Amino acid sequence: MSLERPDTADDAAIERTPDELEALLGDLVVGRDDHLNAPAFVIRPDTVQETLRTLKEQAGYDHLSVVSAQEYENRYESIYHLKKYDDPTQEVSVVVPADKDDPVSESAEPVFRTADWHEREAYDLIGIEYDDHPDLRRILLPETWQGHPLSMDYDKDRPQIATLPEHANPLEDHHKDAESDTMFLNIGPHHPATHGVLHLKTVLDGEQVADVEPDIGYLHRSEEQMAQSGTYRHQIMPYPDRWDYISAGLLNEWAYARAAEDLADIEVPEYAQVIRTMGAEMCRIAAHMLALATFALDVNGDFTATFMYAINDRERVQDLLEDLTGQRLMFNYFRLGGVVWDLPEPREEFFSNTRDFLDQLPESIEEYHNLITSNEVFQMRTIDTGILPPEVAKNYGATGPVARGSGVDYDLRRDDPYGYYDELDWDVVTEDGCDNFSRLLVRMREVEESAKIIEQCVDLLEDWPEDERTIQANVPRTLRPDDDTEIYRAVEGAKGELGIYIRSDGTDKPARFKIRSPCFSNLQTLPEMANGEYIPDVIAALGSLDIVLGEVDR
Amino acid sequence: MAAAPAQLFPEFIVDTLGLDSVIGEVAASLVAAFVVGNIILAFTGVAGPWAKRKITAAFTDRIAVNRIGPYGLLIIPAAAVQLLAKELIIPEGVDRPSWDIAPVLLPASALLGFSVIPMGQLGPINLHLADPEVGFALVFAFASIASVSLVMAGYASNNKYSLLGGLRAVAQNLAYEIPLIVTAMSVVIFAGTLQMSGVVGAQTETLVTIAGVSIPSWYAFVNPFAFVLFLTANMAEIGRNPFDIPEAPTEIVAGYQTEYSSAYFVLFYLGEFVHIFLGGAILAVTFLGGASGPGPESISFIWFVVKIWGFFLFTQWARAALPRVRIDQLIEIGWKGMLVLSFANLVLTAVIVGVIA
Repeated sequence: MSLERPDTADDAAIERTPDELEALLGDLVVGRDDHLNAPAFVIRPDTVQETLRTLKEQAGYDHLSVVSAQEYENRYESIYHLKKYDDPTQEVSVVVPADKDDPVSESAEPVFRTADWHEREAYDLIGIEYDDHPDLRRILLPETWQGHPLSMDYDKDRPQIATLPEHANPLEDHHKDAESDTMFLNIGPHHPATHGVLHLKTVLDGEQVADVEPDIGYLHRSEEQMAQSGTYRHQIMPYPDRWDYISAGLLNEWAYARAAEDLADIEVPEYAQVIRTMGAEMCRIAAHMLALATFALDVNGDFTATFMYAINDRERVQDLLEDLTGQRLMFNYFRLGGVVWDLPEPREEFFSNTRDFLDQLPESIEEYHNLITSNEVFQMRTIDTGILPPEVAKNYGATGPVARGSGVDYDLRRDDPYGYYDELDWDVVTEDGCDNFSRLLVRMREVEESAKIIEQCVDLLEDWPEDERTIQANVPRTLRPDDDTEIYRAVEGAKGELGIYIRSDGTDKPARFKIRSPCFSNLQTLPEMANGEYIPDVIAALGSLDIVLGEVDR
Repeated sequence: MAAAPAQLFPEFIVDTLGLDSVIGEVAASLVAAFVVGNIILAFTGVAGPWAKRKITAAFTDRIAVNRIGPYGLLIIPAAAVQLLAKELIIPEGVDRPSWDIAPVLLPASALLGFSVIPMGQLGPINLHLADPEVGFALVFAFASIASVSLVMAGYASNNKYSLLGGLRAVAQNLAYEIPLIVTAMSVVIFAGTLQMSGVVGAQTETLVTIAGVSIPSWYAFVNPFAFVLFLTANMAEIGRNPFDIPEAPTEIVAGYQTEYSSAYFVLFYLGEFVHIFLGGAILAVTFLGGASGPGPESISFIWFVVKIWGFFLFTQWARAALPRVRIDQLIEIGWKGMLVLSFANLVLTAVIVGVIA
């Protein structure tokens, strides 16, 4: 094609039609395979970097949300779901088919750092190999695992041996150094401050960290495969609660609900949307309270009073959620097309309980500020440690409070509205410090914003006419979305962009169900924050990332 | 001047029982040491399994142990049985016998410190084992042995977390022991003696009388600046928040004691608590008038107990409220801040005392 458009990064924010994008990519595109959420261009497996670089630098698609891979009868396929941090409604997918017998495709890692882990996962679970990848190893399964579990010819009856010696002492070669004396240290998988079973392969130079590499997968529970063997209508919804199990359940359920509802074209009644919004924000408060509590634990030391105070506040939110859903952690409250039941009777009592909680919240937050954020020792410990510059954060696909603590103004609730958020009055919180302190501050301020949202929802629900309280749309008993329909939809979870990619095959179960976990991408930034810092700062940085291993490993 | 100090405890036993021989004196000393040691161990027994939990619970809005016995007090024997009944795990490659000596050395060094502490009177008994002329220097020397124990434990455990903890312990003790002792020296300049009874005796005079209440010349009142310095350095010396760097459970698991279990773990735990009480005792003797307080001399031991438990409470309060500093910040505070301030305090005190005297 001779029509080379003189595009520069200046007009990166301009929205382009799919045809304009195709023209921009020119010869790179070999076909179209549009998804419900975005145009999708099929390219050759050896032009991945060129295509993504063009889209990133000339069209402004600077956010690689997720890489979802799958195997078809006749080919393998990797899909790069791209977005813009400035406007996440502008999406484009790049589909890279790979040969069935020799699935090799070019790595996107040189263009987007975040592709590193995502491609390792695709290699691990599906079996696609990525050329030019800096470190193509298994990521979730042990190194000795045989076969790729989500590929078609995987033999699940084959006995697997995961030997301990194979897994230990991984850095024999690079912690020997003639210049300096370093020490290799395993932090975790059993360690008081790894927030679950996370293993940090750390190389220390004295007390300073020379290198740290997170080793994940200890909590891998085949969540994607379990979703693929459940029916859309009822059998998948209980699982999202178990991804980020730190009481962010409703936020996770919403991710699935949003993707599946858009896939099956289900309209959710407004009343249910308000209830969803309220419930989700309660979950966000609960999740952020725990993040605050454990961060205080990491920085102050065990037995800090802040931990128990924050847990106490979280307990109060959980009481409200228990009233609403009947559960304290694994809510299973959303249904496709609405929620499972209406607010608890008597409604006045629920409203007054909620208001009581909201009324005492400012006092609690004030107390946390007195206890930790205004403490000079705490500031000394957290300000200017664990630095994550905004450009690095974007390159790693960081989202949620981690990105907002680096000044990246990205919140799907506002930028890609769903539920009832765009009708309500609230603000997106950002901090420019890029350090551990900023990330904590973002969470604390977001709790206040969530409280604002809940208050408005309660006002709305109180005055809702009794005959218009429709909690569920009319949804068929069995859902069979059209064959080969693909969709990627994300919501703002407690930790960031929680997205679901679903491909339907005409049956009542998804053919591919891919979870884009915000913790997974956020955790990948840890080495950027931690290298060169002291051990306590690594622990603080890890705490400020607020990961949940259940969601990282899925 | 206050009444002449009563007989030391061993001499009291000798006189009371009429033991004149050398063997009798040795036996009396051992008995006296046994009694004093057990008092301290009893404190520790109450503090570790029960008081610490109750105090932390009070700070964090919880209830803590309340099921076994009145106020949960019987948790103390229960915890003792439970801890001692655990298996003593000896990891591969530990460097024996230093691995075995370390847990004994820590409580021993801290208990040794109490040999020169005047703990006040209980009835006719003056709980004070020995009063050498260099008592003040001795008590710091004994307390410092603890860091040797921590290094031994850290190095002998054959564990990287233990090693880090051991190294941190040395770095911390070096950085804080000097300011601690230099600050204590300013008190010695005031008192003009290194003898414990002399230092305590010098604090019994009345400083000022306000509305009929006479305030004794405790050095905490005479020189509050030195008191704060000493308190801070003391917290670091005994390794409590915000200076609990050698253990730092969220960073290096449990530091030097990571590999210890069962009886050895109990010994470490014990040693730390005795060390806190010793820290409190040194603070009381140096700045808070030793065992003195209102009321008759014969119950002054109660005041001593109140003071060291007050210090214990303070450490627990700090643990519930304060963030931990980082190792490099700790060293910086020690060498660049505390050391300079403590020397300034020493020089100023020396000048003032020299001009007045």
